[in-house]
Amino acid sequence: MPLRLRLSLWYGSALALILVAFSTVLYFVTARSLRDALDQSLEETAAAAVRSLEERGFLPLIDEDELMSQFPELARIDKFFQIFSPSGTITIRSPNVKQHELPLSRRALEVAFSGKTIFESAKYPKEPPLRLISVPIIYQGNLLYIVQVGTSMESVDQTLNRLLLVLLVTMPLALAVSLAGGWFLAGRALRPVDAITLAAQRIAAGDLTQRLNVPASADEIGRLAGTFNNMIARLETSFRQIRQFSSDASHELRTPLTVMKGETELALRRPREAADYTVVLESNLEEIDRMTRIVDELLFLSRADMGEVKMERLPVKLESLLEDIHRQASLLGQESNVQVILGLVMPAIVLGDELRLRELFLNLVDNAVKYSRPGGTVEISLTTHLNQAKLVITDQGIGISPEDQKRIFDRFYRTDDARAHTKKGTGLGLAICAWIVESHHGRIEVQSGPNKGSTFTVTLPLATSPS
Amino acid sequence: MRILVIEDETKVGCFIKRALEEESYAVDLCEDGAKGLEMALATNYDSIIVDLMLPSLSGLDIVKGVRRERIQTPILILTAQSQVDQRVKGLDAGADDYLTKPFAIDELLARVRALLRRGATDSPGILQIDDLVLNPATREVTRGGQRIELTLKEYALLEYLMRHTGRVLTRPMISEHVWNQDFDTFTNVIDVYVNYLRNKVDRGRTKKLIHTIRGSGYMLKAD
Repeated sequence: MPLRLRLSLWYGSALALILVAFSTVLYFVTARSLRDALDQSLEETAAAAVRSLEERGFLPLIDEDELMSQFPELARIDKFFQIFSPSGTITIRSPNVKQHELPLSRRALEVAFSGKTIFESAKYPKEPPLRLISVPIIYQGNLLYIVQVGTSMESVDQTLNRLLLVLLVTMPLALAVSLAGGWFLAGRALRPVDAITLAAQRIAAGDLTQRLNVPASADEIGRLAGTFNNMIARLETSFRQIRQFSSDASHELRTPLTVMKGETELALRRPREAADYTVVLESNLEEIDRMTRIVDELLFLSRADMGEVKMERLPVKLESLLEDIHRQASLLGQESNVQVILGLVMPAIVLGDELRLRELFLNLVDNAVKYSRPGGTVEISLTTHLNQAKLVITDQGIGISPEDQKRIFDRFYRTDDARAHTKKGTGLGLAICAWIVESHHGRIEVQSGPNKGSTFTVTLPLATSPS
Repeated sequence: MRILVIEDETKVGCFIKRALEEESYAVDLCEDGAKGLEMALATNYDSIIVDLMLPSLSGLDIVKGVRRERIQTPILILTAQSQVDQRVKGLDAGADDYLTKPFAIDELLARVRALLRRGATDSPGILQIDDLVLNPATREVTRGGQRIELTLKEYALLEYLMRHTGRVLTRPMISEHVWNQDFDTFTNVIDVYVNYLRNKVDRGRTKKLIHTIRGSGYMLKAD
């Protein structure tokens, strides 16, 4: 069942319940107070009659006219007056009851003998219901008369009937109007939800550029839409990254495949010298190595993403690690006539994984050598400041433009200059470096400009207890 | 037929160049985008093969640049991306065909042949003048049903002449379309090759097809 209908039904039922309860109470309270007022007026009239009889010393009343002059209010048609003897026979009565026989009830007589006043309702055929009060007059322990005053309940009943009618007509009307209002309000309140649903459907269909029109209000719907938009934005970013990544990955893997396929097909087109085949096989081997490296590094990164790469947390002496790396890098540098020198090296111990740190530094130094020009210099230094170890690798190579600097740690990102300079890179080295630094709670930064060389700075927290 | 290959992956560029050369095409190879566009605008190539991802200037920009200069040379784009939108962009920019890496050499050559055919006005796959028949797909040349064996350069020269039958072809035009940029235009190599061709095509025939236009160059026609 739609929420809107459900809300309206709940609201309607509650309202109907309240209306019925309210009307019932109203009806009965009104009925009660009308009757009480009637009874009170009867009682007052009866009391006045008794008082007047008392003044006359309870002499028997004979003359109707005298009675009427005594009680001018009896002339009003709405009340009548009867006096009964203790035997229950009428001794006198007001003229407006003449045409009817209204005997004293047995119960009224019994109560009169016990000296108490009684109210009664009576109904005669073809007559409106009556309300009666019977007051005994007792003199020196003897019941002299029973004074009865009565009135028609017609006006009370009419009032009550009118009230009932009004209630029965207005209640469903009020219910219908407020149900319609509730339906409208629920629809209004739920419209943003419908909008969100529609947008979510479009987004689910693949259009991640869609956004919800966030209502300006800070209510529940506004917050929901805002949260939703944030979620879509994050989804869009990560989808774009994944798409970029897989497109980059496929490009990097397709290039060696293209070379291998093309060269092999070309070699097979016609018989060739043995030396030609050797060249093709050697070239293919190079490409296979390149692909292997890409696949290995990709695998490492995806395992790192899944949190499946184990990291030691042992004290590592950075200064001795750097000396090792300096030796290796010097050999690398000799091949391309690049000098690798150690600058200031201060002792520093960090907690971490020695193998990964070695990979990190070797990668950075190897890059520095690779992108240096022949005759250039690469300098490595290690300093400590407060509780941080700072490792700086500076080269005088081709440098990196400011817009590229933001992206060089992205997977597969290679600057055009880097591509032109060396075909060997996989585009994953710096991404791995960044990951290693991050998992050691450190920072990696680059300062560079085109043809101004590059400076990579790695900052790692020192082990707190130098042991 | 002279072809420009713009491809930054050295190895890919090299094997494309060799494959094309073995098919008797003259090939210039360029690894840089901006320089490639310069070459494409400077020389009247018969076809251009361009990679989409290049340093300094993308393949897409090269295609646009060539078309902006109203050069109608057929262009084949090479793309590593399998994404449709890249190819669509390339074709919309004015490229005539595309090939996704990795590709088969045979397909590359077939597409190049198709592009060259498109370049010449509505010519069928097989070229024919009088009883001289040249099939670019098989590189088979026959005259009067008899097979004629040609070297790569002789074939290239004959194909160029046959694609422009009835037109005077100057020595610079011939050198531009049959030889690549390393060719020294001040030698008489063209005349030497035309003579080789004459020996194989016209010798001993009553009807001569290769004519020398004095002071200008050469022409292939059946009178």
